[in-house]
Amino acid sequence: MEIEKVKERIMEGRPGFTRQYGPSRTDHQPGIPFFPQEATRDFVVIFFLTAIMFFLSAFVTPFLGPPRSPQVSELAVPDWYLLFSWGLLKIADIFPVFTIGAGTPLQTEFSAVFWGDILSGIPIIALLLLPFLDRGREARPAKAPIRSAVGLAGIMAIFTSSLYSIREVVWERWTTPNGQPLIDDTAMKWFFVIPPVLVGLASYVALRRLGFKPMRKWLVSMTLVAFLIVAGQSLAILFVPGWLGPEVQPYWVQLALFLFILSAAAGASALAVLVLPESRARRAVHITGIVTFLAFVGATLYLQSAEPKAFDWILSVLEPNTNTLLLLPGFAVVTAWFGLRRPYSTYEYLLNECYQCGKCHTVCPVTKVEDDALGGLNLVYNSFKKQHDGVPLWTCLACDACSAVCPLDIKYSDYILEERSKAHARSAADGGEVE
Amino acid sequence: MASGASGSFGEEGRRTVFGWIKTRFPSVPWADLTRKAIETDQRQMPRSHAEKYELKTIWYWYPLYCLGGISFVAFIILTITGIILGFFYVPDGRLDRTITGGLTNPAYLSMQRIMFEVPFGFIIRGMHHWAAHIMIAAVFLHMCRVYFTGAYKKPRELNWLIGVVLLLMTILFGYSGYLLPANNLSEAAANIGINMTRASPLIGDQAARLLWGDLNTLSGIYILRWYWIHVFILPFIATGVMIVHMGLVWIQGVAEPH
Repeated sequence: MEIEKVKERIMEGRPGFTRQYGPSRTDHQPGIPFFPQEATRDFVVIFFLTAIMFFLSAFVTPFLGPPRSPQVSELAVPDWYLLFSWGLLKIADIFPVFTIGAGTPLQTEFSAVFWGDILSGIPIIALLLLPFLDRGREARPAKAPIRSAVGLAGIMAIFTSSLYSIREVVWERWTTPNGQPLIDDTAMKWFFVIPPVLVGLASYVALRRLGFKPMRKWLVSMTLVAFLIVAGQSLAILFVPGWLGPEVQPYWVQLALFLFILSAAAGASALAVLVLPESRARRAVHITGIVTFLAFVGATLYLQSAEPKAFDWILSVLEPNTNTLLLLPGFAVVTAWFGLRRPYSTYEYLLNECYQCGKCHTVCPVTKVEDDALGGLNLVYNSFKKQHDGVPLWTCLACDACSAVCPLDIKYSDYILEERSKAHARSAADGGEVE
Repeated sequence: MASGASGSFGEEGRRTVFGWIKTRFPSVPWADLTRKAIETDQRQMPRSHAEKYELKTIWYWYPLYCLGGISFVAFIILTITGIILGFFYVPDGRLDRTITGGLTNPAYLSMQRIMFEVPFGFIIRGMHHWAAHIMIAAVFLHMCRVYFTGAYKKPRELNWLIGVVLLLMTILFGYSGYLLPANNLSEAAANIGINMTRASPLIGDQAARLLWGDLNTLSGIYILRWYWIHVFILPFIATGVMIVHMGLVWIQGVAEPH
């Protein structure tokens, strides 16, 4: 079949042979053609986009504000896409300020603004270096867990950096009953590190799990560390004298309830991962997540209505420790849930990589003799689509010839064996009758 | 073409006109070469991603493959509305007094004119504003798509680098764009920009004078500088780089499906 294609290519343009390429091509064009199908879709997108812009410009007038004057009193916030850079500029005050080469022509002042310049340059340099750092061949996001985790962590860092840039707004909006900012500067600075790292770790575990890797060691260590930090800090807050301010002391019991809910979430996840077998651990983590969420929301709603003052003071303890007390329990539960997830869709997921090149069908010995498998069908693709007209389930020899030629290393015979064992399990459950 | 013997007046005229042009600009061999290059294997223009890889289904990520196109459409709309705005905008940020003694400046007055007097002026400015936001969002999401699908890998490293340059230029477009209305936001943003420029070692003040015209915003000269950057330098470079970016996609093909 291949040789015929080559012959056609050589004889292209001779009398009686079709042109293979170009606008005057007469033979069948495979796939979805650019015109009119894809062009129609593109025009729909373009018109829709233009309509959105007209709608927005008619009903959401862009801001103009007062004319510029050298004394800007209020806080002028730049557009959203520059907030991350502004946040980096604001956090630059954690770096030491010094001057090198003073008095020489090469005098360089490492001021806070210059540190901000350097910080803003780091993501750009990282983006420029990316294709030379990542040389692997995997393109699919779930098959390159490190790259995907770093990417998601980076997006999270952009969000937290943007949040830090409007710290004055946050401080003004959320305050403790005695007028202090609810989330203090230190906690907001740690937002640059902790949430991105947690997002990166959780997505790494989740994606590795999707690719069949047992993630128990990772889960045990991460949930245990999370639990120890949360529990240790809760105990310190409750029992170390002088930790709680005198205003919060009257609400010790309510605070202890909140801290117990948070510690229990991390602890239950860690315990489930540590001692239970996988399927039961999965269920335990699931229940832990739901119960914690309901308990936290319930306690919040109850306290807000019954003792609003107590709730404000409890928040003044919890919020400065957002990075540990609030984020770590959620991280433990979510990571454990992802890491224990049943990879039920794995084979479908792997078969989904197929881009219908048809090499498997060419080498398959069964399709040469099976009547209902003849006719240019694609083995992997049809199986994935549950159209069993590729190789019927029970006639496959599991010879793996298809996997040998597959450009994406799809293990078709593994899938077939898995499906057969599932069918056997089903028939056993039905009373042992063969289907 | 018909024979010359029975040639009508129209045909004769066409032959005369085109013949006159053809003898001076021999375009036929060039058009032929271009057509051959376009129709070469893997490089013909109307051949979509799905067509090239003979796809019968669409991967669930494919809707995200239109983000680059969306940003280009937004760029075209920005060009059109920007040209219209350019007829009415006055790039002069020098401080002035109103009749009541308040501060104002010609750039801001022209903005008010666009918003309140010019017919459909506020629609044109709104289109320019929202298309800019959509373009920046689309460019950022497009970069995320390329990152997460690994489309920057060999042999597309160069196009990724060009894309990073284009991302920076898009952000610069946005930044220079909101400097121009000469309002409070412009003043604050210009101050931050001047400080960041001046903080760079050795050449800080010289760079600030070059980019901003002055070491502070008092004179308002920065409006004219950044107007010229916004409407001439950046579009000129960005359009060229965009053509290279899309030309490379055409030559190398959209990244393989997974």
